Amino acid sequence: MDYFFFIDLIQSTVDGLLFGTTYALIGIGFTLIFGVMRKLNLAYGAAALAGTYIGLVVFLMFDAHPALVFLASALGSGLIGLVVYLCCFRFTPSNYPMASLLASVGMLLFIDEVVIHASHGLPYPYPSVFRDAIIELGDVWVRGDLLFVFFMCVVAMAALFWLLYRTPLGLATRAVSQQPRAAQLCGIDVTRVNMMTFGIAGVLGGIAGAMTAAAVGVLSPVIAMGLTVKGLIVVVIGGLGSIPGAIIGGLLVGAAENIFLLLRGVTERDIYVMLLLFIFLTLRPGGLFGSAQTRD
Amino acid sequence: MKFSTLMTASLLALAAGPAVAQDKTINIAGFGASSGVVGIFGQNSGAAMAAAVEKINAEGGVTLADGSQASLVTTYYDDRCNAEEGISVLRRIASTDALVAVGPTCSNVAEPLFGILQAKVDDAGDTGLQFPVFTDVAIKGGLAGISEWVFRNTPSESTMYDSLFAWIRETHPDAKTIYGGVEEDFAHSRFTWYEVMRKAAENHGFEVVGEAQWLLNDTNFSNQARGMRRAEPDVVAISAHPFTTCGMLREMARQRVEPKVLVGLTSSSSLETLTGCANEAEGIIIPTSFAPVNEGAQSAAAAVVANGGQLDLHSAAAWENIMILKDVIEAAGIEGTDASREEDRRKIRDGLAALTEAPGLLGMNKRMPDGEAVKPYVFVDAENGKWEVLHNPGS
Repeated sequence: MDYFFFIDLIQSTVDGLLFGTTYALIGIGFTLIFGVMRKLNLAYGAAALAGTYIGLVVFLMFDAHPALVFLASALGSGLIGLVVYLCCFRFTPSNYPMASLLASVGMLLFIDEVVIHASHGLPYPYPSVFRDAIIELGDVWVRGDLLFVFFMCVVAMAALFWLLYRTPLGLATRAVSQQPRAAQLCGIDVTRVNMMTFGIAGVLGGIAGAMTAAAVGVLSPVIAMGLTVKGLIVVVIGGLGSIPGAIIGGLLVGAAENIFLLLRGVTERDIYVMLLLFIFLTLRPGGLFGSAQTRD
Repeated sequence: MKFSTLMTASLLALAAGPAVAQDKTINIAGFGASSGVVGIFGQNSGAAMAAAVEKINAEGGVTLADGSQASLVTTYYDDRCNAEEGISVLRRIASTDALVAVGPTCSNVAEPLFGILQAKVDDAGDTGLQFPVFTDVAIKGGLAGISEWVFRNTPSESTMYDSLFAWIRETHPDAKTIYGGVEEDFAHSRFTWYEVMRKAAENHGFEVVGEAQWLLNDTNFSNQARGMRRAEPDVVAISAHPFTTCGMLREMARQRVEPKVLVGLTSSSSLETLTGCANEAEGIIIPTSFAPVNEGAQSAAAAVVANGGQLDLHSAAAWENIMILKDVIEAAGIEGTDASREEDRRKIRDGLAALTEAPGLLGMNKRMPDGEAVKPYVFVDAENGKWEVLHNPGS
């Protein structure tokens, strides 16, 4: 094996794993909503992008510090998540899953179009931190900004786990996820839990959007479709409804994408990623961590 | 009594004359992507067309065959850079009173769209659409040859890049190697690198030491930049649109890829690149058929800004097209009535086909027999967040 090829392989894997954490966050958002409501929110990636644009507005208007921009992106996305819930899920009949699914598709297109109209489709600079920091480990370079992205995503995941497993809200969320009717009988306000789930998932999406834009250094509406598609691939591979699955799936997709890029070039890269998806759907439709557990 | 009545009638007729002329309109439709991620092209073209129409109407409009004046009107249709929608939009335009259409903005729309037009004029066996199209933005080379109803006012990238690489060879004699970066899934970017830039570079003695490919939606360019860093090229040419150009330039800066010369795609000589990554784009050289280098170009740019757009090499062509069409309409004897519509469209086609040159914002554009144009151009580079003219090959 050629030395440079070996280095490239390591470098691609490292970059892919670090960047894959943003996919993991998006995957967690999808899976969280599915876990609680058993419904897919296809507007999730677009809402995450729109939230990221809210952070951008804060940056452009007030020349705000990157930390504030990231916070505004996360909170903005959380807020848009709530709007998506109210528009597409709260009032759609629960016994017609297609109604909310199609409503979320409509919302995806609507948000996308609003963002494009507002930004004229122009790419805008998005603040990043540790942009020029590089850790050189021999011939392998580890990007400081990607390490930051990785760190931020890990912190967000840790916060989510704390919320889910150490707080009453988390307990209620898990209860609704497992037995919504029983949870309701125990006095849990299911609508409130659903709303909170959309808000929390939105915040995670906003962090993913902000970290993606920070890693590129530029924000453009073209990111939305990538976030949506990657997020869906991640949840299929990881197992719909499984948060650890979304994390592993995100890292796997990030690394696989970069390795396929190295081995087969950009024109074939997505073919192999989709092939991976197909293999999972055929041989392991529940994904890596999907459970066969059902609920009432 | 009779005299006074006659005088009154004459005065009324005189007074009513211009009002009647104001009622006559000639419709020039515009179409292209005015929404979606490349919507800025259509928005700028629409604004440029509207500004040019405003200017013409303020100066009295166009003179028709009967000597009367008519004002120009224009409506811009959105095809979302989608071939099917583009075809549907053109068919819709052809069903209106529009005499000619300016568009489209995307080469991937232009190619199939031109295919629905009659290939050869007066070919009775060809039932293709008989409607003149005067393209402003879709820049991929050689497309006008698809139909004799198609005319283009897009710059010749082959000529411009050939001249650019000749100039780089002259001004940077020590530069020997080139590395290309291409947005693989966009027709214009792809065509321009493989068919234009690379060939021009090789013709002028540059050795291509590598190529990096990425896609329009990509957000990670580390693999591509690494290959570039290893090859240590003297020249890097990036054939991509602003979003990925910016992403790639940032990654190049991060990986300390510092070529002696950085060359960009014609479409990137716009406000978008500077909005997205002015610092990283510093020094990038791009050939362009528009720069506000004279009074006419500056006043056109101001008029387009007043209409909510920006004048760049693409939208400048939309402005020029309207001005050229005004001359053609007046020279061809357009009647502008419902009954004469088909005949008027044909006259405009024939008028455009007969042109050997046409005025443009940077000078005279040569009109070629195949419907294409050869336009004056300059080389610009990004300096302190602005596009500055670096070299004028015509001077």
